[in-house]
Amino acid sequence: MSTLKILIADDHDVVRKGLRMLIEEHPGWEICGEARSGREAVEKAIQLKPEVTVIDISMPDLNGLEATRQIRKACPKTEVLVITHHDSDEMAAEVLDAGARGYVLKSDSDKDLVHAVETLSQHKPFFTSRVTEILLDNRGSRVTHPAESIRKRLTMREREILQLLAEGKTAKEVASILGIAIKTSDTHRTNIMRKLNVHSVAELVRYAIRNKIVEP
Amino acid sequence: MLSDDHPYVRRGLRNILESAGKYEVCGEAGDGSLTLDLAMRLRPDILITDISMSPLNGLEVAAQLRQSLPETKILIMTMHDSEEMLRAAAAAGASGYLLKSDPEELLVIALQCLEEGQCFVSPAFNQTSAKQLFG
Repeated sequence: MSTLKILIADDHDVVRKGLRMLIEEHPGWEICGEARSGREAVEKAIQLKPEVTVIDISMPDLNGLEATRQIRKACPKTEVLVITHHDSDEMAAEVLDAGARGYVLKSDSDKDLVHAVETLSQHKPFFTSRVTEILLDNRGSRVTHPAESIRKRLTMREREILQLLAEGKTAKEVASILGIAIKTSDTHRTNIMRKLNVHSVAELVRYAIRNKIVEP
Repeated sequence: MLSDDHPYVRRGLRNILESAGKYEVCGEAGDGSLTLDLAMRLRPDILITDISMSPLNGLEVAAQLRQSLPETKILIMTMHDSEEMLRAAAAAGASGYLLKSDPEELLVIALQCLEEGQCFVSPAFNQTSAKQLFG
């Protein structure tokens, strides 16, 4: 039997440890890497090519949703399972939109997580019955929620920079994290503020919190 | 005893504690009201509890246990890094406050402090003002 390579990404040590134990109990499953931020998750997914990435949404530097988009783009064969404590209708839709094919709540049972990894490893989608209900209820009445409209207005790079700025990074720090010129980073910031029609970093932070790009 | 509504967190905590060698996890609960019931039966030396749980959040549990089981020390382990929550935890009678984003080594250090009758507050907070709160 070939081993199933799984990458886990969560900024909390204790959660990664719990996930590792649960996954390693399963014969044939191997944790090929661990990441503490969305950015690390993207790097490790590209480098290790896991079959499944289990990822949290709220993470510093790059959140799990943006990381999911980048992973799905760079490694289309890697399935992404999102685990989160955000139990909301919008979040379920966001997760799907980012390209994840599985979504479990941290409060769901261990069995749900194991079942989700198993299903995703066969390239089939997995949702708990609660999430399926949310998704079906929303069909046909898909209102444009704020997060959806930012996604339309900002590019992937701009959303990434928005999160870093909202976390208090300066344009210079953003430039060094992303390996781009300071001038480019400045231009992105100006564009983001113009597109969102905000005029100060404080407003930008409020915007990012309201739209769940960062945690309050 | 452990209390958190996320099964992986409980699993991770149990593993950290058991590998430290000197702790025994006597029970686990996934919500606040179960935590109260179980704690009353098990009378643990230390309860490690999350805040966000329902029914009854970790702070309500702490406040009630303070009354009925004054011997049990309470360590809060949460993702909430606000001063406000820290204050509320101190007021509820917790002896320690740790963040889920803190490195795992701190858990054992926090437990040691609690055993010795001291308080422990995550290094993410200003220690001087935290000492006053929990003092």
